[in-house]
Amino acid sequence: MAICRPQSEAELAASIAAARTPLAIRGGGTRGFAPQVCCDDLDVTALRGISLYEPGALTIVADAGTPLVDVQAALAAKGQQLAFEPMDHRGLLGTTGEPTIGGVVAGNISGPRRIQAGACRDFLLGVRFVDGTGRIIKNGGRVMKNVTGYDLVKLLAGSFGTLGVLSEVALKVLAISETQVSVVARGLSDRQGVAMLTRALGSPFDVTGAAHLACVAGNTTTMIRLEGFTDSVAYRADRLATLLADFGDISIDNDGENVAAQWAALRDVREFSNRPGDVWRISVKPSDGPLVGDRMHKITRAQIIYDLGGGLVWLLVPAGTDVRRALADIDGHARLERASDPKFATFASQGPVLDKVSGALREKFDPRGILNPGLMG
Amino acid sequence: MPEPDSGILQRKDEIVRALQAVLAHSDVIAEPLETRAYECDGLSAYRCPPLAVVLPTSTEEVAEVLKLCHREKIPVVPRGSGTSLSGGALPTADSIVLGVSKLTQVLEVDFDNRFIRVQSGRTNLSVSDAVGAEGFFYAPDPSSQLACAIAGNIAMNSGGAHCLKYGVTTNNLLGVRVVLMDGTIVDIGGPMLDAPGLDLLGVICGSEGQLGVVTEATLRILPKPEGARPVLIGFDSAESAGACVGDIIRSGILPVAIEFMDRACIRATDAFSGAGYPDVEAMLIIEVEGAQAEIDAVMEKITICAARHDPVEIRQSASEGESARIWAGRKAAFGAMGQISDYMCLDGTIPVSQLPQVLRRIAALSDRYGLNVANVFHAGDGNMHPLILYDANKPGDLQTCEEMGEDILKLCVEVGGCLTGEHGVGVEKRDMMAAQYTDDDMRSQMAVKDVFDPGWLLNPAKVFPLTVSAGHRIATGG
Amino acid sequence: MQTNFTPEQLQDPKLSAANDILRSCVHCGFCTATCPTYQVLGDELDSPRGRIYLIKDMLESGRDADAQTVTHIDRCLSCLACVSTCPSGVDYMHLVDTAREHIEKTWKRPLFDRMIRMALAVILPYPRRFRLALRGAMLARPFVAVLPRVLRVMVGLAPRQLPRPSAHDRPQVFAASGQRIKRVALMTGCAQKALNTDINDATIRILTRHGVEVVVAKGAGCCGALTHHMGKTRDSHAFARANIAAWNREIAGDGLDAIVINTSGCGTTVKDYGHMFAHSDLAKEAAQIAALTKDISEVLAELDIQGTAPRDVAVTYHAACSLQHGQQIKNTPKDLLRAAGFAVAEPADAHLCCGSAGTYNLLQSEIAGELKARKVGTIRATAPDVIATGNIGCMIQIGMGIDVPVLHTVELLDWATGGPSPKALG
Repeated sequence: MAICRPQSEAELAASIAAARTPLAIRGGGTRGFAPQVCCDDLDVTALRGISLYEPGALTIVADAGTPLVDVQAALAAKGQQLAFEPMDHRGLLGTTGEPTIGGVVAGNISGPRRIQAGACRDFLLGVRFVDGTGRIIKNGGRVMKNVTGYDLVKLLAGSFGTLGVLSEVALKVLAISETQVSVVARGLSDRQGVAMLTRALGSPFDVTGAAHLACVAGNTTTMIRLEGFTDSVAYRADRLATLLADFGDISIDNDGENVAAQWAALRDVREFSNRPGDVWRISVKPSDGPLVGDRMHKITRAQIIYDLGGGLVWLLVPAGTDVRRALADIDGHARLERASDPKFATFASQGPVLDKVSGALREKFDPRGILNPGLMG
Repeated sequence: MPEPDSGILQRKDEIVRALQAVLAHSDVIAEPLETRAYECDGLSAYRCPPLAVVLPTSTEEVAEVLKLCHREKIPVVPRGSGTSLSGGALPTADSIVLGVSKLTQVLEVDFDNRFIRVQSGRTNLSVSDAVGAEGFFYAPDPSSQLACAIAGNIAMNSGGAHCLKYGVTTNNLLGVRVVLMDGTIVDIGGPMLDAPGLDLLGVICGSEGQLGVVTEATLRILPKPEGARPVLIGFDSAESAGACVGDIIRSGILPVAIEFMDRACIRATDAFSGAGYPDVEAMLIIEVEGAQAEIDAVMEKITICAARHDPVEIRQSASEGESARIWAGRKAAFGAMGQISDYMCLDGTIPVSQLPQVLRRIAALSDRYGLNVANVFHAGDGNMHPLILYDANKPGDLQTCEEMGEDILKLCVEVGGCLTGEHGVGVEKRDMMAAQYTDDDMRSQMAVKDVFDPGWLLNPAKVFPLTVSAGHRIATGG
Repeated sequence: MQTNFTPEQLQDPKLSAANDILRSCVHCGFCTATCPTYQVLGDELDSPRGRIYLIKDMLESGRDADAQTVTHIDRCLSCLACVSTCPSGVDYMHLVDTAREHIEKTWKRPLFDRMIRMALAVILPYPRRFRLALRGAMLARPFVAVLPRVLRVMVGLAPRQLPRPSAHDRPQVFAASGQRIKRVALMTGCAQKALNTDINDATIRILTRHGVEVVVAKGAGCCGALTHHMGKTRDSHAFARANIAAWNREIAGDGLDAIVINTSGCGTTVKDYGHMFAHSDLAKEAAQIAALTKDISEVLAELDIQGTAPRDVAVTYHAACSLQHGQQIKNTPKDLLRAAGFAVAEPADAHLCCGSAGTYNLLQSEIAGELKARKVGTIRATAPDVIATGNIGCMIQIGMGIDVPVLHTVELLDWATGGPSPKALG
């Protein structure tokens, strides 16, 4: 298994064009994807560096192999951030390595603030990538309003390298808020918790995180994040607490560091780190979240974290549990995020028509089928 | 535009009869005097009556029409409200215009899950109207929102003034029901976030009616803020206005909208709206949301920023009525300019930092070509709308106007921007695509169309220069 | 938009005016959003933008009108919501008037249609004939099922009871109570006084109560709107001339501060007399008459009315198209009602026509019926005790679809300022 580490976009293109075997694309290697066929490694981490950063235009452009921490540090120095707060998988998956910005984009890796600000794909302004034939392609650019031609930027985000290898990404950034607080309730049932999140998200108080952690029955935490200028946050927290008062004891966590830590832990699904079992990531309509919980509790021991107001359900279940079958009649889809002995496909089917379309797209972009083959279907 | 297929033209009567077999007779329009009304959209400089027009009343009827056209190899041009400014709904003589204007129902509203599902012919503003009483709204607000259809918003990935904070259509679109050219009906996405695999919804949004006909859309709705207030800031130069914008953003404030108008636009829109705009060289309309106290606090911060750039006047709206008039003027800018002159509206985006430089170069182009330009745009994200004023009844003026427009758009690309920020490529910028994209870039986009519509029957003459797409359109004889 | 009239064509003042209007349209499509027929039919051809396009083609080519164009122009309500919406100031009203005139001159309608239109033109503007026709309609009610559709609709629209002709509608002067501060002419019109005499009575009462002397001028009659909107401009101009002469006599006599009209459909037409006669011998007089013309709500607003409305009367205000779009009077009637102490609500989609539109509910009964159903639905949702509006046509149309009493705004204001409680309220 050879390792190829191109030093530039041109070399990347040449490597792919010349490839004779399938390629496993490696950024930081923190997602632990194991190729099903024998692959050479294609290490993109030499493509690193921030080529443009304009705080006044909320724009940053970086080579795909740039470590995420480098991007975050450059932004933090100007009081800005990647508002979609990408998850750090290393704790959950037990991997090491440095996540890259390209990996974040390739996986559409996002976090709790997705509920208000959007996912990685909503902040992605442009991409440069090399397709499976070694052609260098660009789409989008570096401006937010861009509808010139098709939006392949969205298509590449979350394509896990199966359509092309990213060489450069342009992202929209936002300011880091002056203050963040959590509005918290404890001991609520899953239904009550999600109901509380629903009410908060339907309020005008600009909630930027809404989660219900139900890992231990009876000892649940329902938390809602508010961010912004200090006075504004204080006002909104107060109003929100009043609005939610009938759910029980509502407390406000003003300790900025603690609040940040709590949401980072949620973002990284740290609760499930170092615990045995399969981890599934379910997307449903928020009010169906508790339904997912009910269903899982009926068939097995399950620990559950509800994020995105109930619309993103993280499950920790005994290894080999057929979650998709258990949830078959609920509208939504499940991704197998971690399994020591994967019995099920990572990605759910999109139905016969869309699976066919996806397959055809992969064939167009990667006719030889050499980019992360079999990863997505 | 490509030459129409004479075979199709000859078979017109037969085709019309076949359409009348799958739709109500009143939903098929084929008389030349009537198809004329569908010969153009909001870009009335380019016109061509279609073979026929169909106005189906259900997704199933759309599927039957597409199946028929697929079998007969007839190009189909989807149409929403026909408000496109880039010729997105411009037909060819051998094409069927498929209008979704009869598909306007609200299908489902779910406030707990914060979405609304509508038929795609429904107008943008009426989506917000449908959820307004419960305190919600649909965020993307193109200036034509009163009349434009969701279908068109999805096709063009429309934006609007408030997309600075809330994103554009693709950031607010949760799902679609789309009919593919062979008549297959498929749902993509839905009330849950995240795609199970490839983001097919993301590529359909902005595909200008070339990948399928969207008949239903699931849209994200948001709780209305407690309040909103616009502030007018007048400057005696565009440079100052541009610098002020960058300053505000760098200081951590993200207003809901930042709009820019120059003197020509200010005068025309003020006459229409009675908003009482200051008579200045450049004006920003900045909108802030929140509770009154929150708005006050942010306005103070904005005022401090603005003061650093020598403003001529700073005026916060004092009432809801005034706010409505301030926005009415801005949103009617294109139409209000129409009272003064024919115009061509451009839609290039530039990096915000390039604003003053680009305005200066546009002024220089204006001198060179001898046509005046009025500027109105979304300053917060650099999406410009230079309005080139010309005389449609003066021979040669349109052509001069187009040449100047091309130069302006090339300038946008040159400084790191793009050809179109929200109006789409359509036909208007089709032949300029090479200014922004290489052949390989365009090939990768066309590959997507090859998958969804191998016969290239859906709106085939748009987006890609005809020479570039020629090989793909061979099947249709175009 | 680009237009293609020849220099010869542009010598004709009507075509030149049409050209100016067509040039001002930028084809933006905003008008489609507020057009009632586009809402119902979803076809560009039944929207203002599409109609403008058809008219442009017809006038530019100089050809006779054709079946398709006539169909779509006939479907236009002339509600003028498009005029309220258009950001480019397209003068659609006068464009469609020109088109209707051209159609009337060059298009031969089927015989039955011609007969119906002629019947409307010779009956509606003449109160005595109209009353006879209404009585005939009442008698025909048992046989309605066998009548052709349009006659069925007409019979359906006829009220169950007809008021006696009112003595107040004859030419005379009504003295002001107390100090006379103004002298106005009240146009008693044509169709309205056959259907409803309470409106004029209430108008006269409230005006005289507030120091206004009211004269019903001899020789004034139908304003010409009905025939004008059928394109029969020779007839409409004849009616207008008679009115202009009648009011001129009053102006020359004891003088007039205003010509008051309480049917907003007529008010829009009379305010347009200046335009109608711009290229004629009557240009100056017509313009003067037009300038003096006011809707009753405008006059009352100047009088600073103080009223005490009865409590617990929920009023829903229906904005007649001719008032809100044609005359751009949107808030005045509501302000007056509120100042008089009424609680005033408005239905959703208040900008949309109820479908009455002059003779539209007779000639385009299907679309009119759909619009009526939608309007009644939105009004019902406001749970009114009484509906107030400023036009007799709307009163009849809405009244047919809802059990809540429908009154003229002036009747409620009269009641609140000392007049009798309106009969319809029991």
